[in-house]
Amino acid sequence: MIVLTPLKKFQFPIHAECINPDVFQGKSVEEIASLQVWEGNRQKKLGDIFKIEATTHETPNITINGDVSEVRRIGQGMKNGEIVINGDAGMHTGEKMAGGKITINGNAGGWTGSSMKKGLIEIHGNASDYLASPYRGSTEGMRGGKIVVDGNVGSDSGSHLRGGLIKIKGSAGPFLGFHMSDGTIHVEKNAASRLGANMTGGKIVVSGSVDELMPTFTIDSIKPKVKIDDTETAQGPFYVFLGDLAEKGNGKLFISKANNAQLGPIYEKYL
Amino acid sequence: MSVINAVTCPICGCLCDDIEVTVVNNEVVKVKNGCAVCEAKYMGYKSEHRIRQPLVRKEGKLVPVSMDEAIHKAAEILANANYPVLYGWSSTNCEAQRVGVELAEEVGGVLDNTAVVCHGPSLMGTQEVGIPTSTLGQIRHRADLIIYWGCDPWSAHPRHLERYTTFTEGRFEDSEWKSYINKVKAVAGKKKLLSAQRVEPHKKPHETVAESLIFNKPPETLQKEGRKLIVVDVRKSMTAEMADYFIQVQPGKDYELMQAIRALIKDEELDVEQVAGVPVDYLREVVDALISCKFGVIFFGMGLTQSAGKFRNIEVAISLIRDLNSRTKFLIMPMRGHFNVSGANIVSAWQTGYAFGVDFSLGYPRYNPGETTSMDVLLRGESDATLVIAADPGATFPKKAIQHMVKHPLIVIDPHLNATAMLGDVVIPSAFVGIEVSGTAYRMDNVPLPLKKVVEPPEGILTDEEILKKILEEVRIIKSKRDEKTEAP
Repeated sequence: MIVLTPLKKFQFPIHAECINPDVFQGKSVEEIASLQVWEGNRQKKLGDIFKIEATTHETPNITINGDVSEVRRIGQGMKNGEIVINGDAGMHTGEKMAGGKITINGNAGGWTGSSMKKGLIEIHGNASDYLASPYRGSTEGMRGGKIVVDGNVGSDSGSHLRGGLIKIKGSAGPFLGFHMSDGTIHVEKNAASRLGANMTGGKIVVSGSVDELMPTFTIDSIKPKVKIDDTETAQGPFYVFLGDLAEKGNGKLFISKANNAQLGPIYEKYL
Repeated sequence: MSVINAVTCPICGCLCDDIEVTVVNNEVVKVKNGCAVCEAKYMGYKSEHRIRQPLVRKEGKLVPVSMDEAIHKAAEILANANYPVLYGWSSTNCEAQRVGVELAEEVGGVLDNTAVVCHGPSLMGTQEVGIPTSTLGQIRHRADLIIYWGCDPWSAHPRHLERYTTFTEGRFEDSEWKSYINKVKAVAGKKKLLSAQRVEPHKKPHETVAESLIFNKPPETLQKEGRKLIVVDVRKSMTAEMADYFIQVQPGKDYELMQAIRALIKDEELDVEQVAGVPVDYLREVVDALISCKFGVIFFGMGLTQSAGKFRNIEVAISLIRDLNSRTKFLIMPMRGHFNVSGANIVSAWQTGYAFGVDFSLGYPRYNPGETTSMDVLLRGESDATLVIAADPGATFPKKAIQHMVKHPLIVIDPHLNATAMLGDVVIPSAFVGIEVSGTAYRMDNVPLPLKKVVEPPEGILTDEEILKKILEEVRIIKSKRDEKTEAP
């Protein structure tokens, strides 16, 4: 196992896509220390900004102890292995990940798990905006894998989602599941406005309350419970909405009936 | 005395190019055809706020220095910076912007223009779904339905209605000026009537009157022949006063309203009775008007780009246009603010591939608003030097961003001692683009127009382009000296 400790508090953004179990595999500490990273507009070596130590433990493959909220692209495109970050992680952590596991014992920056295909990301803090969302202009959202967030997530999370599961134990910001076409998002607490805007498929389950519902969703039924994944079901009852009508979509919103009494008078007359 | 014709006005995105300027003894004495803002700029550009000499902060005070010293100091700051921000660019010409891109690449900085705090979301929305648009000439001659959404051209782009839309005599569409005069008279009469009714101020005004002012039913004239004007805004602006129909949307609910209109265009039924405070029945009539027009256009402003939803608002607006184009002809255009902010976007996109928020720190251009935009870089406290040119972030950025900006060296290039220049460490005066400097600027419909030089700049004052070229040259010298030093041992 390799242990990385930041040598200082970083002011400039650091691009370190080399912090990846696939890259570290079979390299000595010296070789790892000479990997190239960018600090602001200067090229540095990984050893210049991190203290690098090797221990005898097998897992996790990489442990980072300290605040790396300015370090971007940790575990980008990783296929195997495990990274544990004991501190805040920067933007694009686990971007285009295709396997393995990343645990963040702190908050996660924007675009965490962006366009991921497989694997698991656990965030034991809050996640910033664009969790699992693709880069600007792309429609290639998350395709598979699982993201679990213990805290809250920011805006535009899970946009263009095409598969996989995002489980949010806190609340979600606006535009959750924007233009998603497949996959599942479960919010255990509340969801902000524009929930599921432009969605064409997949499902979003909100066990708490919703700020407001897009006018372009139509009520379908009331269901007692809903399946989240093979191991888990969420207990309702839930209002089931279909939409987004503006995209002639077939996405499903499951909104807790008990926590959203305001929706009853508007929609129940259509059931 | 000389009279100069067809001068392009360097104020707003309209870039009116029919201004007539009279010059006596190298001073503008008369401006014809321009709006009030245009006249104020041409007559008042030589105010007491003009900087006459380069300034450098020494022991906390800005002291006059020579141009060479100021340029060397600025180059030194930029060459030694680890993550500089180069911001502004919207009130200068494309020639200077082009040098700016080169400078940003040389110093490995973040190149960003004022779109980041105005129409950046429009550019991002365009990137998501494309944009169906045209030149203003097409709109002038053909548009029979004009919608201003979240903007007030009567106040911000004073000649927009008169030159390009409702009040202009097009080849295929007539001006609506006369009907506007009638309407103004009617509104004035209505106001008199209202004030007459309000003789007892402690009594509530008549309820039906209040209702008709807020949620007015679409008038039958909405289906009339000829040019129609619809305004969507959160308050009844000056432009809304003269509109055929004014839709008062609840603040921050534009997204819902547009999405509902999109669903109605696709003949979907909505479960709700009102959207963003507008009854769905009224919306149906609006949709009828949208579909039955021959050539429609939506102009949108800050009300859409900087309210909740930001670039998603623009994305949905463009999607709405796409849906409308399956029924009729419809276009969309952002109401750009600064006279050459479109040019800043075009030059940046032409040189780097991205219109704003370009990060050169890795040696090649990268773009990701939220990560590489100047505002976010400043708010996260990442930068270590700032160059501000042809903009005034000191007056417009949030406090936290300015606090970080002034912690590190700040270079300002501007004709005026504005709020940012007062905070600056190196202040370099420049000549007024469009008055003292010629060049190229892009109108809001991305049509390039030539700017004219009508008077000579004060002695010793250089243009933005010359200043930037000198800084770039100096940066290259400093960098090559540094490289020699590191290679020597």
